[in-house]
This record gives sequence, C-alpha cells and structure tokens, in this order.
Amino acid sequence: MGSPLKKIMLCSSEKEIFSVEEQVMVQHSVIINNMIEDGSYNYEESKIPLDCVDSKTLKKVIDYCTYHTHHHNDNQEDLEAWDAQFLNVDSNGLYDLLMAANYLEIRNLLDLIYRTIKNMIKGKKIDEIRRILNIKDHGFTPEEEEQNRKEYPHFY
Amino acid sequence: MNCEKLSNPSMDKKKKLKQTGNKVKEEASMDKKNNQRSKSILEILPLELIHRILLRVPIRHLARLRCVSKLWCSLISDPDFAELHFHHSPAATNAYFIMKNETIADLIYLDGNDALQKEVCPPFKKKPPSKFLVVGSCRGFILFHRDPYFLVVWNPLTGSSKRISYSHIVHHSKRHGYRIPYGVHLHGFGYDSSQDDYLLLVAWRDCEGQSRLDCFSLRTNSWINLDAAVPKLVGFDYYHFCGLFFNGAFHWVPYHFNDSSDAIVIFDLKEMTFSTISAPKQLLCSYPSLALLGGCLALSTPSDDCLNTDAIKFTINIFEQPDVAKG
Repeated sequence: MGSPLKKIMLCSSEKEIFSVEEQVMVQHSVIINNMIEDGSYNYEESKIPLDCVDSKTLKKVIDYCTYHTHHHNDNQEDLEAWDAQFLNVDSNGLYDLLMAANYLEIRNLLDLIYRTIKNMIKGKKIDEIRRILNIKDHGFTPEEEEQNRKEYPHFY
Repeated sequence: MNCEKLSNPSMDKKKKLKQTGNKVKEEASMDKKNNQRSKSILEILPLELIHRILLRVPIRHLARLRCVSKLWCSLISDPDFAELHFHHSPAATNAYFIMKNETIADLIYLDGNDALQKEVCPPFKKKPPSKFLVVGSCRGFILFHRDPYFLVVWNPLTGSSKRISYSHIVHHSKRHGYRIPYGVHLHGFGYDSSQDDYLLLVAWRDCEGQSRLDCFSLRTNSWINLDAAVPKLVGFDYYHFCGLFFNGAFHWVPYHFNDSSDAIVIFDLKEMTFSTISAPKQLLCSYPSLALLGGCLALSTPSDDCLNTDAIKFTINIFEQPDVAKG
C-alpha cells in the first residue's frame, strides 16, 4: 500500500497526463498495484502509458476509482445509484470503459460493466438486442437467418 | 441450428473489399462510419470479453442469444462454454422438468424468488413415439428412454440431443418368443468429474436371469460391460426405473416397500460397487420416490388418500446424512 499523499502519473492514448492519488489506483487496479509493489514505477520520472485508453475514458475510470475509494463505507444503495449514473453512457462509451477496465484489471468495475451489458440484453428480443448492441453484420447467411426466424419466431 | 466454424470477420471484410474493387470508396465510407462512432459490439470488443459477458447471462436466455450473431452462436455452442457456464453459476439456477403431455414439457426455473416457466418440445423429430419415458437427469441434461431400445440425452435449452441405442442389451434380455425384454432395467445418468464424462448406466437381467451392468460413456461414445455384482432387486416389478444421481452414486427406489427387505439400491460410481439401504419401517408403502432436499437424500411417499383428492400429499422423510446412505 502506498502513502495516500503520493501521486502517480497516467498517460492516455492522446498523451494527456493525469495525476492520481497512488492509493486510489493501487486499491482498484491489479496492474498498477503490481507495478508499485515490484518497484517498477519511478515516482520521479515514470508515467504509466495507457496507449489503448483515451483521455475521456481514462478520466471516467479515475472518477470511478476515486469515488469508490472515498465512499466505500457508503450504504450499498447509494453506491449502486452512483454506479448506475456513472454508467449512463452510450454503448461505445461502455465498450471503451470495459476495455480500459480489462486492461487495468479493475475487477469491481469489470463486474459492474459485465452486469450492465448482461442486463441490457437479458430477456430482449433478438432484433432489439441487435439494435442495442449495434450489430449489423450478424454473420448468418440469409438462409440461416430465415431458418432461425422460422424455427424460433418468438425470439425475434 | 447451423453453426459452423467461423472465419475471422475482419478477413471477410478484406475479401469483400478486394471483390468489389472499390477499395478506396469502401474505406472512405468505413472511415465515415467510424467517425460517427456507430460501432457494433462485435467490432469493438475482443472475443474474450464477449465470452465473459455471455458467461454471466442466465442459462435460460442463452438459447435465444445464439440467434443474435453467428459469432455468439459459436461461442455459446462450444462445449467448453457449457462447462464454464455451469461452474460460473452452479447454484444460481434450479430447473424442474415436467412432461405436460406427449409433445410438450414445461421447464420451470427458479432463480431466487423469480420463477420462469417455459414450454419445450422433447427431441422427437417427426411425431412423438407412442412410448417414451424420462429416466434420468443430470446437470441440466435429461435422459429419455424410447421404445424399443433407445436412450436419448437431451439438452432442453439448446434443443440438441443424442440418441444412443442399447439394442445389444435388449437383444440379450429377450426370451425366445417374447417381444418385451425380460426383467427390469435400472437406468442411471450421472457425471464423472474425474474424467469429465457423462455416463449412462443400465442394470438389467439377461435371458438366463443373470443380472448385468452396462455403462455408456458419452466421451468415448461406447458401451462397456461393468463387472459389478447387482444385488437382488426386490420390489422392482416395473420395467424402467429412473435413478437419482447424487453424491457420486446412483440411487434407485423400488416401486413398493412391502416389507423391510425392500431396499433402496445404490451404485457408487467411484467404487464401482452396489449397496442397499433398507426403507425406514414407517414407510412401507407404494410409489415412493427419491429427491434431493437441501443436500440430503429425501424419500417422498404419497399419502393414502391421494387417490381421492386433487392435491397430492406427500410424506417426506429425509435421510439425515448423505453418507449414511452410502454406507
């Protein structure tokens, strides 16, 4: 565990630098925790390059980690309400967050996003799921698609 | 459902570009699309992440999700996926299967306080056979017996099924001049985690009255004869018996408990041996059935007045410890 006052630098794909309390990232990101623990992060010079995370997404990720670090004693309902508000983004924003959380191994954020996407598709009709997830090329041949629609009309 | 191995979607795109010859134009339009950021989940997320999302979807929604895209279909249809999904939520879904009539069954799922009922059709292609029976279930799969000599393993969620002939058994258990096999058949359907294999067990009597035990492995897709002494079957005077697989052993309960010599028959899959336990004295009755209740083996018996009333009452007797049953 690092000291709460120490800051670390994260660098987005646009080379924008974000300075974050070390503890916030160490608590949430397995990758950053490992870097700090094995001493591969140099506080004087290092910036952690996150080439596949853009600034907008990185800012959100940091918001999430910061909030959950400082509010982990809040009651569950309040946290869930905050999470729901936090994930009120379009599907692209959600995918970007998922990729970032996966890259940084932020497990509670990953779980939250998995659950959110699962709930977006659970119990919906196929056409609706395709619209929500923006799936235009489903990969079935017209014959297969027709066959599926004939076989499972109630799915569509 | 048709679901062959997929080619890489990006490869397809390249192919299309070549075919049209309008490479520049197509790329330009694709760039435009990207700028609008109207990307599909399939283009953005790596397979691994889609896989992990699908693993979290309750099993009853998966059949539908196979139709969303060919990629999802191949992910969900993969045998490893079923295995992973099972381990991901082993206790999350309880399903009950009830035959309504010969062509329609009800699957009832209980997730917490949420119950969902779904109609499914058993896997008999053209018209349902005049005689089929449910003779077992294991980890969401259902085992049917279908006359004259078929066992059918069925996944009610995906609708896929496999038919296994046990004609060699029926052939050897027929006496000359009789169409119906001799003696009872005990059926068992279980899972051997050490081999990751599903096993179908048939205990039967050959035409000379010798008890035999055969086992079909779904992994090796073959029958083997097991050398285990089958105990004398008392009270099993019906043709097919459905075994309950529990705690690594198959359990069969006779049709009647007439006296205390009638016993529950157990076959331990690991030890490959049979054993029996006597019925509790107060339970001398007809039509008992076995069930699992809170991790214990339970014996339920219809009350005496059940034939006169619509509501069937059951007396339930719980064996205190599963291990007692194994002793």
